[in-house]
Amino acid sequence: MSATARHHLLVNLGRLLVLALILIGTEIGVRSGFMSRLFFSSPSEIFGALQTQWANGSFLPNLGITVFETLLGLATGSLAGLIVGVALPQLRILSNVIEPFLMVLNGIPVIVIAPLFILWLGLGLPSKIGISIYIVFFAMFIPVYTASLRLDMTLVDALRVMGASRNQIFWKVIVPSSMPSVYTGLKIGSGLALIGAVIGEFVASRAGLGHMILYASGTLDTPSLYLGIITIAIFAACLSFAIDAVGPVLVPYRFSDEK
Amino acid sequence: MLEFRNISFSFSGRRDTVEVLRDVSFACREDEIVAVIGPSGCGKSTLLSIATGLRTPTAGEVLINDKPVRGVDPRLGMLFQQTTLLPWRSVVENVELGLEIRGEPKKARRDRALELMAQYGLAGFERKYPHALSGGMQKRAALAQTLAIEPKVLLLDEPFAALDAQTRLVIQNDVVKICRAGRRSMVIVTHDISEALAMADRVVVLSRRPATVKEVYEVPFSREAASVADAPTMPGFADFYHRIWQALDISITGMGAAA
Repeated sequence: MSATARHHLLVNLGRLLVLALILIGTEIGVRSGFMSRLFFSSPSEIFGALQTQWANGSFLPNLGITVFETLLGLATGSLAGLIVGVALPQLRILSNVIEPFLMVLNGIPVIVIAPLFILWLGLGLPSKIGISIYIVFFAMFIPVYTASLRLDMTLVDALRVMGASRNQIFWKVIVPSSMPSVYTGLKIGSGLALIGAVIGEFVASRAGLGHMILYASGTLDTPSLYLGIITIAIFAACLSFAIDAVGPVLVPYRFSDEK
Repeated sequence: MLEFRNISFSFSGRRDTVEVLRDVSFACREDEIVAVIGPSGCGKSTLLSIATGLRTPTAGEVLINDKPVRGVDPRLGMLFQQTTLLPWRSVVENVELGLEIRGEPKKARRDRALELMAQYGLAGFERKYPHALSGGMQKRAALAQTLAIEPKVLLLDEPFAALDAQTRLVIQNDVVKICRAGRRSMVIVTHDISEALAMADRVVVLSRRPATVKEVYEVPFSREAASVADAPTMPGFADFYHRIWQALDISITGMGAAA
């Protein structure tokens, strides 16, 4: 076995060990009464909460709603941020006029603006998707916009000397050179999309994982509270892995390790 | 072939106007290499960006075969100091870029690019990204890209400044050979006296800003020496070097020179 293979094996075994210690530790801790049932739940209790919610048909809809809000918010917000971020620097005057307004909007904490979205779009899904789009937009817009402003003009000059039109320069230089920042935007935006959806659910909602956590907290149903947190953590991790997989597609040259 | 006729150029700043070039005239005949040398910041590079249509002169005009050049002219090819290969395109996609801009069919431009790459010692690197290439090979690829559109006049803007000394000699030699083989004209802007003497048939010395043509020297080394590396060993080289150094009128006021 090579040194790197042994290293990977050790790391993975170590990770499994940490996970097992947490699970067994809390199970024993809670059962023995050493850890209060009000503040902590054992893995078996959390699994029990999952079984109950699964049986009464509330778990999957709650998960599905939050996932739907997050993905739609991420997709729409990223697309809007990308289009505005690439197009705005092309329109110099407009760009200079609205830049401060966008920066002020971006500075408003999302939790502060969330009630406004509830007011506008109601208690249902649209308000959560709206909040998600709002923060994802800036996560994509800002890196793409700043990258467009710092565009390498030598590349543009080189294409102009070859006789390229404005249009060709836009599609052959400006758009591809913004791809690394699109990837950055997606990475930041994927986390924020979920935050936006859950914050919306916290402020006012009838369903979703945020609603479930808030309800569990209000009724002192600690196992359901942990179930909500763990479900969100697993979903966030899946989302992050999915975005990492997009990297080699968007910016293959950054991922080719040949030097 | 290419003629600069009474070119003047000024930058308009917010408060004052900076005069960069004043009444600069010289020509580059067919199958001739002209080096333009001048003190740092004298506006040598500006001359080339005027020829390529990237800048408009305040007065005067650029002519090709006695006809004024309007905007970007397909008979001119330019090799820049910085790398202008697009990092997200493979080397072969970069080499064919100029042909792609002109709307050549895919198959024809790819064949031409592959042919040029084989010719310039880039075979086997077609699918690599530019960052996987050494500085010298990147320069070769940029040269292949410039030559793919078969320009009649090649403009070089301090193209070898970033290369190490040995690679520089090899590429300088290649460029001279390629230029002579195609009976092309070439204008090379440089701050390196040896480079100017070893590569060019004529050396145009510009004065400090506002730059005027100070001296023009006919030099035999490029045609008579076996290679660019051999030129400095030829009789008369040191004499020309000294005369150009004098003409550049750069005072060396380093350590100990003050006394």
